[in-house]
Amino acid sequence: MPVPTHMGPRLKERCTMDEIIEILESLKPGVDYETADNLVDSRVLDSLTILALVPELEDAFDVTIPAVEIVPANFNSAQAIDALVTRLVEEDA
Amino acid sequence: MDFSLHSYFSILYIVAFLPIVLVAYQVVAQRLRWAVLLVASYAFFWAISSKLIVFILISTVSVYLAGRKMGALFSERDAFIAQDKTRKKELKKLYQKKARLVCGLGVGFNLLLLACLKYLVFFGEVTGSLLALFGLNVPVAVPYIGVPIGISFYTLMAASYLFDIYRGTIAPDTNLGRIALFLSFFPQIMEGPICRYGQTAEQLWAGTPINKDNLYRGSVRILWGFAKKMIVADRLNLVVKPIFADYTSYDGGVVAAAAVLYTLQLYCDFSGCMDVALGTARIFGIALPENFRHPFFSRTASEFWLRWHITLGSWLRDYIFYPLSLSAPMKSLTKAARHRIGNRYGPLLAGSVTLFCVWFANGLWHGAGSQYIFFGLYYFVIILLGGLVEPLAQSVCAKLHINREGTAWRTFQWLRTLVVVFVGELFFRAEGMDAGLYMFGQLVGNFTFESFTNGAFMAIGLTFPSVTTEVVGLCLQDYAAVAAMVVIMTIVAVVEERGCCITERLAHKNLAVRWVVLYALIIAIVIFGSYGVGTAPLDPIYAQF
Repeated sequence: MPVPTHMGPRLKERCTMDEIIEILESLKPGVDYETADNLVDSRVLDSLTILALVPELEDAFDVTIPAVEIVPANFNSAQAIDALVTRLVEEDA
Repeated sequence: MDFSLHSYFSILYIVAFLPIVLVAYQVVAQRLRWAVLLVASYAFFWAISSKLIVFILISTVSVYLAGRKMGALFSERDAFIAQDKTRKKELKKLYQKKARLVCGLGVGFNLLLLACLKYLVFFGEVTGSLLALFGLNVPVAVPYIGVPIGISFYTLMAASYLFDIYRGTIAPDTNLGRIALFLSFFPQIMEGPICRYGQTAEQLWAGTPINKDNLYRGSVRILWGFAKKMIVADRLNLVVKPIFADYTSYDGGVVAAAAVLYTLQLYCDFSGCMDVALGTARIFGIALPENFRHPFFSRTASEFWLRWHITLGSWLRDYIFYPLSLSAPMKSLTKAARHRIGNRYGPLLAGSVTLFCVWFANGLWHGAGSQYIFFGLYYFVIILLGGLVEPLAQSVCAKLHINREGTAWRTFQWLRTLVVVFVGELFFRAEGMDAGLYMFGQLVGNFTFESFTNGAFMAIGLTFPSVTTEVVGLCLQDYAAVAAMVVIMTIVAVVEERGCCITERLAHKNLAVRWVVLYALIIAIVIFGSYGVGTAPLDPIYAQF
């Protein structure tokens, strides 16, 4: 679900993060996604989980995540995923 | 002693080729150093593959032209977007499609070259066998042209160059010489590592002067590679080669030993060659990507492949696994499977389609032989099974109160992975699929220690008719030398696993310590290396792929 455009930047940021964490929770529960910063390196997100995560993110934020963006730096934390999504949304605009 | 220039371990390479290139590189002006490396790389290629050098030239020119064409398309696109920003999305899509066609043609052309040179005979044999199944005994004659050195490596590098331009991660190079050097750089041409343009092209071009620090670190790394190769890999050839050549003569115990010794030999040969490649590049101030990270510490088969032949694994992941998995049909399949069978098995089921492609490609890349394809698919099945039973293993461990991070469980995982690796390498080395199955049958159905107690194992060896009529094998002292080297390699690996880089530490030690280490390596190679009459030095295994 795309973030409504009438929201302020901070609120938008919060909404995006909450939604990312919700998606991550639905795929792999029991991890503190607010603070975790090595999701890929510690194999919480393995390649198969990322395969499930990407279509969910694409649907939720109406972006296309190309294969070239599938690098640990973009998926190691909810913040990194947020930054990736925000960047792709901006590039698409 | 072999005096031809056919590998990094030949005398001619060490005492003449490399020193001449180093001197020439250092004495010419910095802006011309790339040319010295390019001439040296083509000379090395010519020395091994002679006329087949034309094929790397064709590959180089083809990716250069395809890259330039994509660059022109992207410039045209940007110019149109600058004129009319409202059509940005439409233009991006249109030009991406055009670039995809150029990229596809460039990659397809290079893969076709690879297929024609490396696989055509194999495909001819397969076609002949298939026709015979239908009663058509038509001889399928395929001309054999020869296989240029490193074609499997430089073709993947050429493809990655085009893929990266298409993806927009690098700009197309306008300098043909830089692309030629990127693809042919002599320390990497035989066995890799499979580099990306963004990793090495600029470094190769920079002409960094040779300095004391790089010279020392590079030399230590080269000598370490020589020690692995000459003390372990070459020595073990005296026992590994005869067992695999005459596999029907041995019981399961000997086959098990052959699987273990071959795995050790392959590791020391391949990683030793990587040490020489990375060490040589280091002397020129070039950091090639690492290809090994202590694979025998792995706890799963997946982890093993993250530590073994890393650049091949990452190439397959970046250019096959993710692009295929994230294609529209596969994403739909992943979502549908997730909703039907859950978060664990859904992605696994959908991912298994692309995993199959990755492992089939991995097997086929290694060679035109059924045993290689079996080797790839063996890991596909093992990794898929691992994913399937993981939830069950988790619940069983929870019920039995087994600490999955405890020493006992980690040791079990480590031993299980070693067995998986040994069995995989058994099939990999076997003289064809039938031989692999026979040897595995012996391993499972006819395992006995008898050959070790009655002296039969120690009697295994090779004959050298021009020297002696007796069989030359390995004695206890040989095994002691191998064991000592394994212990040293294990200590180095443990230290490095704890985050300490030994060459880095060594470089900061005082002059005396540094020279002692350098001389200790040279003396160890001279005394304990397996060379001369009555030995069977191994041709670098991965150079054949």
